[in-house]
Amino acid sequence: MGILKRVRDGLGIMLAVAVKELIQFRRYPSWVIAVFIWPLLFPIMSVFSARALAGPEGQALHAFAALSGTTDYTGYIIVGLVMWMWLNMTLWTLGSFMRSEQMRGTLEATWLCPVSRLGVLLGATCSQLLISMVNLTVSLIAFRYIWGFRIVGNLGLTALLFILSAAAVYGLGIAFASLVMWVKEANAMVFLVRGLFMVFCGMTYPLAVLPGWMRIVSRGLPLTYSIDGIRTVALAGAGLADVMGHIAALAAFAVVTLVAGFVAFRWTERRVLRTGALGHH
Amino acid sequence: MNERQDAVVVVGLRKVFERRARRGLLRRAQGEVKTLSAVDGIDFLVKRGEIFGLLGPNGAGKTTTIKMLCTLLSPTSGTARVAGHDVVREAAKVRSSLGTVLTGERSVYWKLTGRENLRYYAALYRIPRRKARERIAELLERLELAGRADELVEKYSSGMKQRLALARALLPSPPILLLDEPTVGLDPQAARNLRQTIFDLKAGGKTVLLTTHYMAEADELCDRIAIIDQGRIIALDSPAALKEGLGAKEVVRLEIQGEPNGLGDALRALALVESVAVRPSVNGAGTCELQVITSNSRRSIGPIIESVRAAGHEVVHFQVVQPTLEDVFIRLTGKSLRD
Ligand SMILES: Nc1ncnc2c1ncn2[C@@H]1O[C@H](COP(=O)(O)OP(=O)(O)OP(=O)(O)O)[C@@H](O)[C@H]1O
Ligand SMILES: [Mg+2]
Repeated sequence: MGILKRVRDGLGIMLAVAVKELIQFRRYPSWVIAVFIWPLLFPIMSVFSARALAGPEGQALHAFAALSGTTDYTGYIIVGLVMWMWLNMTLWTLGSFMRSEQMRGTLEATWLCPVSRLGVLLGATCSQLLISMVNLTVSLIAFRYIWGFRIVGNLGLTALLFILSAAAVYGLGIAFASLVMWVKEANAMVFLVRGLFMVFCGMTYPLAVLPGWMRIVSRGLPLTYSIDGIRTVALAGAGLADVMGHIAALAAFAVVTLVAGFVAFRWTERRVLRTGALGHH
Repeated sequence: MNERQDAVVVVGLRKVFERRARRGLLRRAQGEVKTLSAVDGIDFLVKRGEIFGLLGPNGAGKTTTIKMLCTLLSPTSGTARVAGHDVVREAAKVRSSLGTVLTGERSVYWKLTGRENLRYYAALYRIPRRKARERIAELLERLELAGRADELVEKYSSGMKQRLALARALLPSPPILLLDEPTVGLDPQAARNLRQTIFDLKAGGKTVLLTTHYMAEADELCDRIAIIDQGRIIALDSPAALKEGLGAKEVVRLEIQGEPNGLGDALRALALVESVAVRPSVNGAGTCELQVITSNSRRSIGPIIESVRAAGHEVVHFQVVQPTLEDVFIRLTGKSLRD
């Protein structure tokens, strides 16, 4: 079979899965909350905590600026939280994609088709990406009007950092989905993983406030570099040279997590064929 | 040549599952890995164009067999070929030649309409869009779903969901169909309609391999039946031949009051009685059913009833019937399918 035909088949399958997922997504009314309400509600708490800690005249802001390099704590928090919410959503969607297909019994029906099983998961990833983009756009527009959030730095560079982060996050998502298929439980796993990222990636605070050992853990998580890099570029207007390290780290993470994701998926696929765990619930 | 003729060829197929005993919440008991041979070395052939049934009680290994054939489970040992392709080495080709319905209702998306479901699966089978549209319309029509094709599947009845699952399996026009308990959970009318559909498929040249634990269904539908119990095939023949295997025998069904302790042995000791099976009556009321296979009911009915009375039981009901597949099964395994 020609490589071109295979690519076309693969894309066709991804598209079919993505369309199916989007139709289903739209039919559960709670999607409005996921896309429009939650991303707006969630950052409010942190922004007001920060306002309280800064003092009425912003007396404490110089201390914050000394660690973070900016006094714009609203933008600072928004970048951190938006990135984290997006990771969170990816894990939920991919993890629960596998889980709900497994529980509904449709995973077996899907695997009965003569298609690449990984292609099916990638299709789900695509629809998730689309939903995330809508979500992200809604949040950014809203934050602009509510808190005057705006990106002052180079948009292209911001986008590059974001795309590299996306690759790393989706690699994680695929590994995660494989794991869920195996342990047959998504919730506890999501709580664990997102909790780790929440604490260690400097979502709402500079990493400098963490004890030394925690900072070492931080360096092992891709989102640390995404959040810091995007803040540096988007909020402080830094150039390419300033974030080369971030770009290199994120690229490395992307390669590692994507490979790990594929390996985990293949491994799970084989295991499931042996144990028959595909249809269990 | 064989490859051409036989739709499914199974040789020495086995599936062993590992079972870990669990103690407490998380702790795994050490050294308690038990193995279970769900399918224990079975051989059979399904000829092209026939309806072949795997008949057996719960846990016999029917679903496990089907799953190995449709490449959802890898065999522990043995081989299976579907349409000439090996289920392990040529899994993708096997999947292209098969339409499989496992537990029907659960294999379609409830939040999509019937048509959307079929459209999705058509894309997974890589059927070109225009052709898919025609095929979907045709299948919806044929399976009597056309009128409600654009409603969400969650509003469908069980029978409709089952038919939709069958439509999904038929999308790529596969030459071979695997149906796991196709009529389970359907009311008698819907089950009858589905059986008719299966006959129509056969008339259209398809090969059907189905599983069931309904004796009458197997008898009515199948050209040949493999009776499977505890992972082994214990008999394989046409329904008529299986029943003839019992010889010119008759079955005396008795319903008696109370627990028949030791009565079975007493009956077995009678002349002309071939075998006896006992089970609690399904209608409750503290009665029991006895199935006595005899070579001559006219001569043995008197002694049978005397023995029952002598053991202190009252005969509530009795009838003499021609053997059914159920009786074949009881004869072969000493137990009833329903147990
Ligand atoms: N994935 C699995 N892991 C462990 N054991 C399994 C698995 N699947 C089936 N079994 C066991 O294998 C045996 C055969 O099961 P199978 O589902 O094939 O039976 P069946 O004939 O289809 O029965 P039923 O009429 O209940 O559907 C059963 O004892 C079952 O508990
Ligand atoms: Mg079964």
